[in-house]
Amino acid sequence: MNAIGILVIILFVLMIVVGRSQGVKAFLGLVCNFFAIFILIILINWQFNAYIVTAIISVIILAVAIYLGSDNTEVTNVAFKTSIIVVAVLMLVAVILQYFGQFQGFTTENSEELEGLSLTVGLSFRNIAMVVMVISVLGAVAEAAMAISADLNEVMQRSPNMTGTSLYAHSRIIGGQILGTAINTLFFGVLGANIPLLIWFVRLRYPIAMFVNAKLLMTEIVTMLLGMLGILLSIWLASWFIVRTNVKQQKVRIKHGRDV
Amino acid sequence: MVVAMAWLFLRNDAFLYTNPVGQVTRVSEKRTQKITDEHQNSDFIMTQKLTVKLLNHDKKIIHVSNSYAQSQVISSRYRVGDQLLLENIGSNKHILSLKRDAVMGALATLLVGLLLIYSKWRATSWLMASLVINIILFGLTLFINVHSKNANVLLLFSVLAILFATASLVLVLGKTLQMGITLLTTLVTTTLTIGLLLLVLRLANNGGVHFETMAYVTQVPETLFMAQTIIGVLGAVMDEAADIVAMQFGMRREGITRHFSDYWHAGMSVGREIMGTLINVLFMIFIAETMPMVFLMLRNGNNWTYILDQTMNLGILQTVISGIGIVLAVPVTSALVGWIMARKVTKS
Repeated sequence: MNAIGILVIILFVLMIVVGRSQGVKAFLGLVCNFFAIFILIILINWQFNAYIVTAIISVIILAVAIYLGSDNTEVTNVAFKTSIIVVAVLMLVAVILQYFGQFQGFTTENSEELEGLSLTVGLSFRNIAMVVMVISVLGAVAEAAMAISADLNEVMQRSPNMTGTSLYAHSRIIGGQILGTAINTLFFGVLGANIPLLIWFVRLRYPIAMFVNAKLLMTEIVTMLLGMLGILLSIWLASWFIVRTNVKQQKVRIKHGRDV
Repeated sequence: MVVAMAWLFLRNDAFLYTNPVGQVTRVSEKRTQKITDEHQNSDFIMTQKLTVKLLNHDKKIIHVSNSYAQSQVISSRYRVGDQLLLENIGSNKHILSLKRDAVMGALATLLVGLLLIYSKWRATSWLMASLVINIILFGLTLFINVHSKNANVLLLFSVLAILFATASLVLVLGKTLQMGITLLTTLVTTTLTIGLLLLVLRLANNGGVHFETMAYVTQVPETLFMAQTIIGVLGAVMDEAADIVAMQFGMRREGITRHFSDYWHAGMSVGREIMGTLINVLFMIFIAETMPMVFLMLRNGNNWTYILDQTMNLGILQTVISGIGIVLAVPVTSALVGWIMARKVTKS
């Protein structure tokens, strides 16, 4: 029997039991994103321009993740706008990082897996390194943007007459909490994933210089830091958007009050 | 400003290294041959002659040659200004790696700087402290794992997971009831999830799971995989549990008398909203990580089923397990908090 198949079914059943209709949608979202990535891989493999393909597929993945995640259009619109801007900024940062850091491809540590594979494949692995960085931050950025806008939206509904400054203060507190837990998740995720590699480094007595320069490890850490940066930026930007619209709406309301 | 300073410092930190470090000052490059492999991929092999100025020890100028393929799957192209980490082999020096600490340092400084601007000094320093403590704990665990011959890897990393959860929650939430309950639910859910995983693996006799595809294995891959999964699940579950508990405590502050069912329903509805996006975060990270290998295998003429089986097998297993953990955290947290709160109310 296939253990992974059983576990996927368990996950699906649990998502339906716990999440009901939202669980089904979340599961569908995962399947959609899997196909989006599939298309991305095929297109880049066919030598389409990696930058353009990544930009388009990123927008699709963000849209799926955000609009299937919640029904509240006020929340989703802010979250979508925020994530698009943040991912665009991060893509730029990723290009710069890749230029200076050369995080592409494999290293001699991979030689066992690479056995029998041709390594002169005529596909730019420099671009692929950039694609990897961008794709891996998408989830974190969308999650942070959704969380902050959903929470602030709830605060606004509970007390609709809140002033801009006090909403801003609220956004700082909530944002701080989301930031803390989200950064921890990312940190543990990366740490867990790299246990074998780190044990390898320790066992084979790599010099300390390699711990801060080796390509394999640095690629992982760059991805993690980029994700953290994405979480921070999207919390920041989303709260700014919400506070700004709130202030605008209140101005309009005051004007209306005068006119009447 | 600070980022630029960090960059400058790390560009000039060669004196800290015991290995020779050099900076490329001149590159002459020529195309040596065009290659077409058995899958009709064509690529160019280039040879570079690098003039490298050593930055520590003896400040000599040396010449190194480097060859790379245009696609740079495993080889790198070096440019003028790149700093290289070198290694002495006999009397010759060869390139160990590009020196990346300046890029990393600049990025880390940028992140910490922005964190400081965004949240107050105190909040940032607590967050940083929890990360640093966790790295130290992790280092110690690795040390024990590597140096004792018959360490129980599973037990070792379970203890590490408990310490991780305690350290990060105490530092982020303080020693409060909220922290205690979050910790409890996190540990209960993680245990349940790992138990479920072990049960299914036992029942299915590890069917369809290719532990042998694990990379960088230096010890029994199965327990190593479990260790990885425990830490990964813990992070995801902790995030979700913390969010739900925070909301339920908010309810307690506002509300007067609440029953178990109130807490239960509120917790479930919050959990439902965040569960999907949280699974998505892990999913994206995992799938991005496998991409280089997928490209390479595709280019080598493998079919998709084989590629999925070889590169994504353990990753999918891990993501699915984390997903189960995230989903399980919702009812466990809602019920546990509701039960504790309801009991408190009847007591007082």
